[in-house]
Amino acid sequence: MKRREEVFMKKISLLSMLIILLPCAAVTVYAGTPLETVKGHVDHVIEVLRDSSLKGGAAEKVKKEKIRVISEKMFDYPELSRRTLGQNWSKFKTEQQQEFIELYKSILEGAYIDRIMSYTDEKVLFNKENPLSEKTVEVQTTIVTKKADIPISYRMIRKEGEWRVYDVIIEGVSLISNYRTQFAQVLANKSPEGLLDSLRKKAGKG
Amino acid sequence: MRPAAIFSLLFIFLAVSSVPVSADSAASIESPTPIRNHELAPVQESLPDEQQDVEPGEIPPADLGDGSGGDSEDQPEEEALHIADPLYPFNKAMYHVNDKFYFWILKPVAQGYRAIIPEDVRLSVSNLFDHISTPIRFVNNLLQMRIRDAGKELVRFLYNSTAGVCGLVDAAKTDIGLGQQDEDLGQTFGSYGVGHGIYLVLPFLGPSSLRDAAGRAGDRFLNPVHYVDPADASVGITVYDKVNETSFRIGDYEDLKKSAIDPYVSLRDAYLQYRKKKVEE
Repeated sequence: MKRREEVFMKKISLLSMLIILLPCAAVTVYAGTPLETVKGHVDHVIEVLRDSSLKGGAAEKVKKEKIRVISEKMFDYPELSRRTLGQNWSKFKTEQQQEFIELYKSILEGAYIDRIMSYTDEKVLFNKENPLSEKTVEVQTTIVTKKADIPISYRMIRKEGEWRVYDVIIEGVSLISNYRTQFAQVLANKSPEGLLDSLRKKAGKG
Repeated sequence: MRPAAIFSLLFIFLAVSSVPVSADSAASIESPTPIRNHELAPVQESLPDEQQDVEPGEIPPADLGDGSGGDSEDQPEEEALHIADPLYPFNKAMYHVNDKFYFWILKPVAQGYRAIIPEDVRLSVSNLFDHISTPIRFVNNLLQMRIRDAGKELVRFLYNSTAGVCGLVDAAKTDIGLGQQDEDLGQTFGSYGVGHGIYLVLPFLGPSSLRDAAGRAGDRFLNPVHYVDPADASVGITVYDKVNETSFRIGDYEDLKKSAIDPYVSLRDAYLQYRKKKVEE
């Protein structure tokens, strides 16, 4: 009888420990380090690109769509948008902000998807993480081509236990800074609605 | 370009590359490598299709603030860079010229060249030009008191002259892990606190600034190609170098143009950010 009780207690304590620990495990697995997160996404993209079962014109579409889905997970578009507009963000009404995020996203995806699709066999090195602040980290990577090594850094922010990219820096050129300068110039002459209008045209949703 | 012409050019380069080999104590002559590597693509800018109205000569200092209204959290990293652009009408015109030059001449030539010449050969040519331009990097590293880096350039030069088959192979990088230490006179000025002055778009060469254009002019004297005797040959070599470099970068400029809301502004900002990083590192 005693013996059974002991076993039972053991089971209980094991179970309770599991119950207590499980969420922790889930969170850590979920979050990973920023570097692992980027690596996971990039590897995933490369996997899609190399997928030999996807060939021909129709497959191109499938691949693009798959990559688009990964990009949604990888990037924090609202954060990216907010930081791009900087001080101008507050001049946009909530609906305008929403539309801005969508348009900006589709412009970025449209602009870079072909570049990504042209990936051949370059090696990607994941060098290191560089903390920027409590919630932000820069992950430094290098694309090694025969011609040159191209440094690409991903700036990431942690929200709800997940790391997401809000800026990409290629050879020292920050994506969001570059757009910020352009948008600021537009906004110097136009209202937020005017900027949205240019973006709609650019995104082909005019 | 016919292969025959290319090969004769190659011979000229080989001849030229041997010059620094013998004269490397003087370490004087080279061609601006960093400039080639990175400014080329930008050189060929594009016209904004619709938003001409957007760019008045005076460029607003593009939000120095980074944070959005309230949440300034952690954005000091991405401060906007500003440069005066009083020559905007000239620059904009040059930008259009360069854009047309790229799409009508440079790109088709580079594409044809790329189709004919195998990648390995083009890489060797590129290595060779980098090799020849060692004096620029060596001297500018010295000017910036980067003695170690200057030494690396010297070792690279000696190593690549021998193990690298007269500079055709970047053996120093692959064998002994010694990469190029990109420095030019514009960066040297920058390292001493000299600002850009004003923005300049140079015909055929692309984005630059008063400081960097002056640096480029100075670096020419460290470039062996500059001393090639018939001036036509010197120009020919430079053009060939540009075509060869462009053959690796077809698509870069197109992407920039495609992604930009205002390509002129985008290119100008990218140039500033890129050069800032170069000066800092």
